[in-house]
Amino acid sequence: MAQNNSAQMNSYRLPGARIKRQRGEIEKPENGGKTLLRLLKYFGDEKLIFAGFFAAVFVVVVCSVVVPRFQSIAIDAIAAREFGDLPGILLCMLGIYAVSCICTFFQNILSAGLSQRIVLKMRTELFDKIINLPIRYIDNHPHGDIMSRMTNDVENISQIISQSMGPMVSGVLMIIGTVIMMMSLSPRLAVLSCLTVILTISITKLLSKLMRKFYLKRQQLLGELNAEVEEMITGYKTVTAYNHKELAAEKFAETSDDLTSTGILAEIIGSSMGPCMNVINNTGFVIIAAFGGYFAIKGYISIGVISAFIVYAKQFGRPVDELAQIYGQIQSAVAGAERVFEIMDEVCEDKSGSHNMDGAKGVIEFKNVNFSYYEGKPVLKNFSLKVNAGQKVALVGATGSGKTTVVNLLMRFYDIDSGKILIDGVNIKDIELDELRKNTAIVLQDTSLFCDTVRNNLKYSNPDATDEEMIRAAKISNCHNMIENMPQGYDTVISRSGQNISQGQCQLLSIGRAFLANPKILILDEATSSVDTRTEKNIQDAMVSIMKDRTSLIIAHRLSTIQDADIIVVLHNGRISEMGNHRELLAKKQRYYELYMTQFSGRAT
Amino acid sequence: MIKYLKKYYIFCILAPLFMFGEVYMDLLQPRFMKTIVDEGVLGLSNNGVGDLNIVIFVGIKMILFVILGGLCGILAGVFANLCSQNFGNDIRKDCFKNTLAFSFEQTDKFSTGSIITRITNDITQLQNLVAQCIRGFVRTGLIIIGGTVCLISLDLSFGTVIICALPVILGCVIFFITKSAPIFGILQKKLDDLNGVMQENISGARVVKAYVKEEHELGRFSQANKGLVDTQLRVLTLFAYMSPIMNIFLNMAIVAVIYLGGISVKGGNITPGAVMAAVTYITQILNAVMRMNMIFQTVSRGMASAKRLNEILDTEPSIADGGFDGETTLRGVVEFKNVSFGYGRSMILKNIDLTVNKGETLAILGATGSGKTSLASLIPRFYDVSSGQVLVDGVDVKDYKLSKLRDKVSVVLQKSELFNTTIEENILWGKNGASHDEVEAAAETAQAKEFIESSAEGYNSFVAEKGMSLSGGQRQRIAISRGIIKDAEILILDDSTSALDLRTEAAFYKSLNERHPDITKIIIAQRIASVKDADRIVILDEGRINACGTHESLLETNEIYQDIYNSQLKGGVGEVE
Repeated sequence: MAQNNSAQMNSYRLPGARIKRQRGEIEKPENGGKTLLRLLKYFGDEKLIFAGFFAAVFVVVVCSVVVPRFQSIAIDAIAAREFGDLPGILLCMLGIYAVSCICTFFQNILSAGLSQRIVLKMRTELFDKIINLPIRYIDNHPHGDIMSRMTNDVENISQIISQSMGPMVSGVLMIIGTVIMMMSLSPRLAVLSCLTVILTISITKLLSKLMRKFYLKRQQLLGELNAEVEEMITGYKTVTAYNHKELAAEKFAETSDDLTSTGILAEIIGSSMGPCMNVINNTGFVIIAAFGGYFAIKGYISIGVISAFIVYAKQFGRPVDELAQIYGQIQSAVAGAERVFEIMDEVCEDKSGSHNMDGAKGVIEFKNVNFSYYEGKPVLKNFSLKVNAGQKVALVGATGSGKTTVVNLLMRFYDIDSGKILIDGVNIKDIELDELRKNTAIVLQDTSLFCDTVRNNLKYSNPDATDEEMIRAAKISNCHNMIENMPQGYDTVISRSGQNISQGQCQLLSIGRAFLANPKILILDEATSSVDTRTEKNIQDAMVSIMKDRTSLIIAHRLSTIQDADIIVVLHNGRISEMGNHRELLAKKQRYYELYMTQFSGRAT
Repeated sequence: MIKYLKKYYIFCILAPLFMFGEVYMDLLQPRFMKTIVDEGVLGLSNNGVGDLNIVIFVGIKMILFVILGGLCGILAGVFANLCSQNFGNDIRKDCFKNTLAFSFEQTDKFSTGSIITRITNDITQLQNLVAQCIRGFVRTGLIIIGGTVCLISLDLSFGTVIICALPVILGCVIFFITKSAPIFGILQKKLDDLNGVMQENISGARVVKAYVKEEHELGRFSQANKGLVDTQLRVLTLFAYMSPIMNIFLNMAIVAVIYLGGISVKGGNITPGAVMAAVTYITQILNAVMRMNMIFQTVSRGMASAKRLNEILDTEPSIADGGFDGETTLRGVVEFKNVSFGYGRSMILKNIDLTVNKGETLAILGATGSGKTSLASLIPRFYDVSSGQVLVDGVDVKDYKLSKLRDKVSVVLQKSELFNTTIEENILWGKNGASHDEVEAAAETAQAKEFIESSAEGYNSFVAEKGMSLSGGQRQRIAISRGIIKDAEILILDDSTSALDLRTEAAFYKSLNERHPDITKIIIAQRIASVKDADRIVILDEGRINACGTHESLLETNEIYQDIYNSQLKGGVGEVE
């Protein structure tokens, strides 16, 4: 292992190279049958439509059985030179054709609606699941891969359901019909043709196992490719700045090549199904012919029965062949479904809780809280802190000392390992999660705005807010003037990459958004790190009035941001090392004093 | 796009050839069957006494032929897949490469969600198109042509039926393809929208949760989802009409053939057996046409995707390479000559004149939105100036080969974008092939060594998606390490120490100056502490240089600087002194 590590250090590899192996270990093809059953459950609500669809297919199948009969009658009539009967027979045929076409149309329409409604439902369920997953899941899974499940995998299922449902049902009906006919003609021969069926099933099983393996691998690689594109495109300022175009393209080519070779293998196995079935069917035909001939010579069955039987044996081949091919496609759908269900099986955030926060004052208390992101690496150790209602508390400390973690825990983005967090004396686990979050507004280190108008971005936290309220919030967060200067004012659309506004302006907007939420507790996590200090000071001055009755928690490195806080908590290695207001802490001449001195050493020394 | 196919023309030819073999075997097989049944089992030429030997002999022969046909079929599949998938792979790689060469505006124009859809889903559609064309198309085409030839050879009057039916069917095909092509374009567009919503929700998951907007987002998603499904349904509905309509025409053809056959038999031109054969052929053609229906769906969709991919392939990167690739006599000198710049019509930077000398530390200070980042972005040519010139080492940045220019400049961005891999590899991004010692040295300068080494797996620790496993300050220090290891002439730190505590920041600047005295450093910052030791400090105000000088001189003369200074000191100063 050590050798392995040093080898890795010396040879340069591009990001993502190792994930592949990791992921490969996690996702193995599971029980295909179970997945298929689960997929079928989606048809459950569509029983009526499915019945209609089934009826339409049934009529089409019956028509396709009856028509040849009429054809032979017509030809018999020609052979018997009874030309007068011909127009009548032909009209009958036309009638049957018309019925068949109408039913085909219904079959198509019904299956289209059915498949799309199922896909709609599946996607909605998946999305509902994804937004309700704990942050831990989102943080630890490649975003592009999650997206790929939503688009590529579900798309795959959609296409296969809409394309193969018709042939599948008609295939099954044909086989059942043919088997019944064969049984009624000669059970002995029918048993023989079971040999074909057994052979078909075993070959299908063998191939399908292989197929599902490769299809799953293909979908995984597609997810990986998606993840890579997503990562490189969102991070491509870095790619550009570091001249990494070539290397990124090379790495991408590697995944892309992997995907291609897996795809080729999967498709080759998939497309071999047809020819294999063809061979089996014909072998079966010869066997039946041989035994049929033998039975005929022995006089067990009449020549007429054999000739009829052989016609059915021929007929038997086509649907079996078709079903085998559809089965291959279904394997591909199952592989996609497995990846979709994998997310659906994740445990959602626990949002339950009986308490609401209507009368909350905003007293926050951490009691002996322990927390670690990864087992064995505690981030917060026995952390206790009480914040009274309306107080402004600042968290300072070296990077990585656990400041953002405190926020993550208070918002229940992550749940604590032990201890308690109380708001107004109520454990936050007992407060309904939505309540908790609605009453706590947060401005994060990394702001995310949506590709929408400034207005909608600001009102995101409070859609019912009036324009006056919105403008007031914008003025407090010092972005009103900036917005007014934008080409369309509040209706300017923020571009996806936030290119038309600077990082600092993004922060101002998200502060405005938080103010508009009118929260009981306000959390600012490095919310003004990219804002210049003068603007920041303006915001702080404006905030005083609106924050009077609210509890606020502020994290900042810039000590000027937090100097006037009621309590300054100095965190060190997940523990509180000092606490007090600015003056008290300076007087202590410990860690805070040192931090302060570095900031102003130019003047103080 | 055809040029991508040229490389695989061998497969393109082989696949249909083998397909021909398979179809040929398929056509032979009924004759074997007939012999087995008529001669072997029924013994038609032997007074109804069957001959088992014939059954077994012809049977084995037939199985061999069928196996041969099957092999041809498998090989046809192999070559068709080799061709279509490699073809798609080449396009995918080129698309990705081209995307990376886009300017920031161009990427924005396409949007991330759309680029992702194009590189994955659209490619898949295109691959299906090619595979269907060389397999399905050829197969059904052969059956249709073969069937038609056989039909006409039976009796010329059947030819008239085909001549009447074919244009109608062809018309149908053309009608449906032209009808469906634009819808498929919309379909892919809807997929973009869905991808866009997904991406925003995943990367903004914390904000969505913090404001309890799950319901709202679900609504937004449902809208995108419904848009996609409705479009899909429009396509499927269109094709739901297509197959019955085409069927009815073919069915009429069958009836016509029987009717005309009857007349011909009456006239004594052909036998009833020939009519039967004609019906068989027409049924075969009918089945092939039915299969065509599915192929056309794939083809139409593939065409729409091809168009979208061409959009990417045909977009010329707006920031084009210059020709200069040589060595410069100057090293680490940046000069702005009367530079104005804006993203749209309004100018963000106005008439900037500024020279940064080799080894100098220049700090840029200014209000939010004053143009600091824009100014820095012009040096590695992320954007082109609206007017004026930016010179690096005496050469206009527009004249440089981009890779040459960007090798000279190392930028640590405001937002530390880390990748989902180990810390070591994230740092190695700065310098391809650097040794572990170099990585450690860079981490040490960036004050990242301590926290990296204190974690269990050290440099091999995995960085979670978008760096979420690290604190903001840790992310920044890894990003700084990455910028330092690059060892460029010019280092731009765009507000990249904002999440560092002051002590760490001070230690970083100290060790940066000690270890890399020759690098020209351009520092954008908010804190006075970050900039006070710089050789010169530039104050940007609304896109213009308001003042430029040392900490001391600005503190004395510049009002803005004094203002900033005071805003950071506030109350506590008295006690310190």
